[in-house]
Amino acid sequence: MSETAARKPALAHLIWWFMFAQGGVLAALLIPVHILVQGILGPLGIVKVVDRHYDTWISILGNPIVKLYLLVLISLPFFHFAHRLRYLLVDLGFPAAKSFPAQVVFYGAAIVVTLLAIYVLLTTAPLALG
Amino acid sequence: MNAEVETGRPAATRTYRRPMSAGWWTTKRHYFWYMVREFTALPLALWLLWLLYEIQRAGRGASGYYPPSSTPFVVFSAICLLFALYHSFTFLSLAGVILHFKVLDKPVPSRLIVLSQFGGWLVASVVIGAVLIGFGR
Amino acid sequence: MAEKRITIRATRYDPEKDKAPRLQSYDIPFTDDAMVVLDALNYIKAHVDGSLSYRWSCRMGICGSCGMTVNGTPKLTCAAFLRDYWPRSVTVMPLSNFPIVRDLVVDMEDFMHKLKSIKPWIIRKQELPLGAGEHRQTMDQIDEFRQFSQCINCMLCYAACPVYGLDDKFLGPAAIALARRYNLDSRDQGVKERLPMIADPEGIWECSFVGECSVVCPKGVDPAKAIQQTKLDTTMRFVLPYGNRE
Repeated sequence: MSETAARKPALAHLIWWFMFAQGGVLAALLIPVHILVQGILGPLGIVKVVDRHYDTWISILGNPIVKLYLLVLISLPFFHFAHRLRYLLVDLGFPAAKSFPAQVVFYGAAIVVTLLAIYVLLTTAPLALG
Repeated sequence: MNAEVETGRPAATRTYRRPMSAGWWTTKRHYFWYMVREFTALPLALWLLWLLYEIQRAGRGASGYYPPSSTPFVVFSAICLLFALYHSFTFLSLAGVILHFKVLDKPVPSRLIVLSQFGGWLVASVVIGAVLIGFGR
Repeated sequence: MAEKRITIRATRYDPEKDKAPRLQSYDIPFTDDAMVVLDALNYIKAHVDGSLSYRWSCRMGICGSCGMTVNGTPKLTCAAFLRDYWPRSVTVMPLSNFPIVRDLVVDMEDFMHKLKSIKPWIIRKQELPLGAGEHRQTMDQIDEFRQFSQCINCMLCYAACPVYGLDDKFLGPAAIALARRYNLDSRDQGVKERLPMIADPEGIWECSFVGECSVVCPKGVDPAKAIQQTKLDTTMRFVLPYGNRE
């Protein structure tokens, strides 16, 4: 019924989907244990978690590998969340979520979170090497 | 709903377009759980933002530091955990549908791929849990 | 013993008379336990109301003509047994997400157009000369794409897909599965030619893996799997410098 406009492969969509996929894998593998331990077992006192005391928490946060891990844990899944929430809006009846400005807002937000995470991880605990 | 005139057909023939209801996802169980699956992104995002805040909190120094402990927070985490588990189960199961490769010219059965995904999840969780608890006191 | 009966409610729409579709009730005998919804429609047309319009052909689940919405689910009416619904009534409506032409008949133009747009034929960079004989394929090579070749073009997947329902520019499950069928065919060399249609924003990327298409497919084609695999293959093609043999 519709005339086929010039069709060409959409590079941007490919990239968003790829980020969605890898962000989703990371979110699936890594997040639940953090919520369980840091969000439930630790606060309830069932186990001793590294953020229970300031000195253990700041010490582990200084480790560069930990910083890198936390960056991956926090920022990459946000590209997954951005993609999913954008399409959730489409499903709820807001086709404007498919527009270019909407892509800028959602994936831009993920980029902002990434930059924020980099900033927090670099400034919070002194980099303790060795 | 407005009727539409089809091009190329006699004017008397009008096809009728039925609008899709905004609540389409409430009409079928499968549609509903699909929306729940998509929605999991929101609680997970909020929990990760909390984690970022927790990290930033450590930067304020030793005096006045308190571990996360409030009841509302535990309730929030419990709810997020439910959504996180639902995300993990659905995402890793569906990975078995998407991933397809051959070993020695034989396609790897999708059940094996899914099993390896869940195995990886278990290993990652044990390792991370061990670090989170092992370095605590 | 009283004769068993069943109520069929069918959509009626006469474009020359009606402003909007309505449901009409028919009370018919349910005599044979093997009766399907299509049998009920044929009984109505033959004995009760000859004006009822609907498509059907083979009545055995291979032609793909008789797809309609039965009690809210897209089904082949030749494969929907009355005994699974009785004693409740059976509501038969035109296939969702398509414009209604008349009664239970929908406009298939968009679907046909989309199928054709992905070039569902063997594309060769260089045709083999006639003297070379036929393209030879092993059973393993056929197994690669066999599942995706089972499509009978019944359109149930488009009726089930909420993405298509919300935006009919979406290429859709059957078209993408068909494209994959050819892309995976060892005789075909047309992946690049199909790419603009497939990897267009309204192609594979619009799919959010609801998966209902595969649930309703009467032939086990699993178009949802085809689409997700196409997303991965398209991405890998782009990421890997030497290209991925799909």
